Amino acid sequence: MKLTVGQQVALFFRAYASLFNRSRSFKTDTKNIIAQAFFTGVEIFPILFIVATLFGAVVIMEVLTMMGKMGFDDVMGSLMVVVVIRELGPILTAFLIAGRSGSSLTTYIGSMVINSEVDALATMGVSPIRYLIMPGLIGGTISTFIMTILFSAIAICCGFLATKGLSFMVGDIMHVKLTWSYLSSEILDAMSLTDFVLVIVKPLVFGSIITTNACYQALNIPHDIRQVPKATSRSVIKSFLYIVIADVVMSIFYFLDYMNELSKII
Amino acid sequence: MPYTTALRIENLRMTYKDLAGERFSKPRVLSFFERESKDNEKELLVDANMELMNGETLCIGGPSGMGKSALLRVIAGLNRPSAGKLYYFGEYIPPERHTALEIAKRQVGLVFQNGALISNLRIKDNIALPLHYHKRGTPKEIEDKVNMAMDLMRVRSQANLFPHQLSVGMQKRVAIARSWAMDPKLLLMDEPTAGLDNYNRRNLLPLIDNMRILFHTSIIIVTHDLLMAKELNCNICFLHRQQITKPRPFDYWLNSDTDISKVLFRDLHRNI
Repeated sequence: MKLTVGQQVALFFRAYASLFNRSRSFKTDTKNIIAQAFFTGVEIFPILFIVATLFGAVVIMEVLTMMGKMGFDDVMGSLMVVVVIRELGPILTAFLIAGRSGSSLTTYIGSMVINSEVDALATMGVSPIRYLIMPGLIGGTISTFIMTILFSAIAICCGFLATKGLSFMVGDIMHVKLTWSYLSSEILDAMSLTDFVLVIVKPLVFGSIITTNACYQALNIPHDIRQVPKATSRSVIKSFLYIVIADVVMSIFYFLDYMNELSKII
Repeated sequence: MPYTTALRIENLRMTYKDLAGERFSKPRVLSFFERESKDNEKELLVDANMELMNGETLCIGGPSGMGKSALLRVIAGLNRPSAGKLYYFGEYIPPERHTALEIAKRQVGLVFQNGALISNLRIKDNIALPLHYHKRGTPKEIEDKVNMAMDLMRVRSQANLFPHQLSVGMQKRVAIARSWAMDPKLLLMDEPTAGLDNYNRRNLLPLIDNMRILFHTSIIIVTHDLLMAKELNCNICFLHRQQITKPRPFDYWLNSDTDISKVLFRDLHRNI
């Protein structure tokens, strides 16, 4: 376990280092990376859109009804930020991408390993890490970043619309008094600087974890076709594990931030 | 020329454990910390020696399962032997640098038994891939070179097909064209004639001959097709009793009284 994490970190840095080796070509690299980002990001968009909308609607309704009942109307914005933007938005997006793009990346590279295409690349002097891993890693990370931002935006905007539509359809039985200006100003007020920084850092870390893990598991397959499905499931499950661990580690920063503010107040 | 040998193998030791192949996921250094186990029964080659002169062609024969393909993989750097020294064009490559990428820099090419074409690229892109990657000339030059390679192996009309649309023999021809386009100084071929029809086999032999004469390429061919050695007029050596025998011409093996001759050349008397 310890060794595999070390090897994955090494693979990550080797992939980025390979950007600068002698055979670099801006045009081809950009083309490969964009193709990979397209594959990872755009094709997952319909599912992501639906999940984000429903998730956002559920969160808004729960928060409104529960908090309204208990008289905590003013923490609405902070709760939305914590639940959607800070924690579950990035994690759900990462899980979606790990389940779809991470597993397909593992199968793709794993089949190439089985058919000794990776060996063939190496004997032609084409570095597999540069030709296969690097575009997947960078493209996957970029698209995870974009998809996470989109997820949060969709969860709030379309979730708001869905809530409105629902309360319009079933009549105002929940006594929801919700306007866009109220929601948006609450959320923007609740966002802190740490939130902005970690909204950028989190998806980048998660994207790197998913793609590095997927590529690592694929390259680790021995020449045995039965290992491909095993490696695929390992890729997904271990991605989940690493993502949650990384999330906990990054939550410590929020905690430190919170403690600092607490000491200021006291 | 500063060197006369294309490849020299000294005291090569190879076991079944080495056949697992290179894992590109691991940094190379890690494997040096792995434990070594000495198990004589599982050894394929023990203290084998071989020498290949520049521009020479050598066939390697022997029954299946003797480690012929594994030997080629070791020479191409895909597997690392347990012990032994390999000299490429007079230059010793220490085990920590014995990787496929490092050896490919010395213009060593390998034609795989199954072709191993990249399955999501068209035939012409397959051949052009290493040329583009290593920036061998302008796009126009590369296109000319690819067309020439396809003409030589008669796959020009299939240029826009994908590898799975071709038969095994044609995939092999494309693989040979891909290796040829890289201008290798040492070319390793794993069963180049298996799966080829007689017509294309006849076409392949002059091509190998041309590479030898015009480009001064050293070639190692692993084959069961022993008559090929006679047609190419080159020496054959065998993997026998965990050793590489001395290279001898076809007629020597045909008429000698060794174990190898008795087993492998018994039927060939009738055909010739």
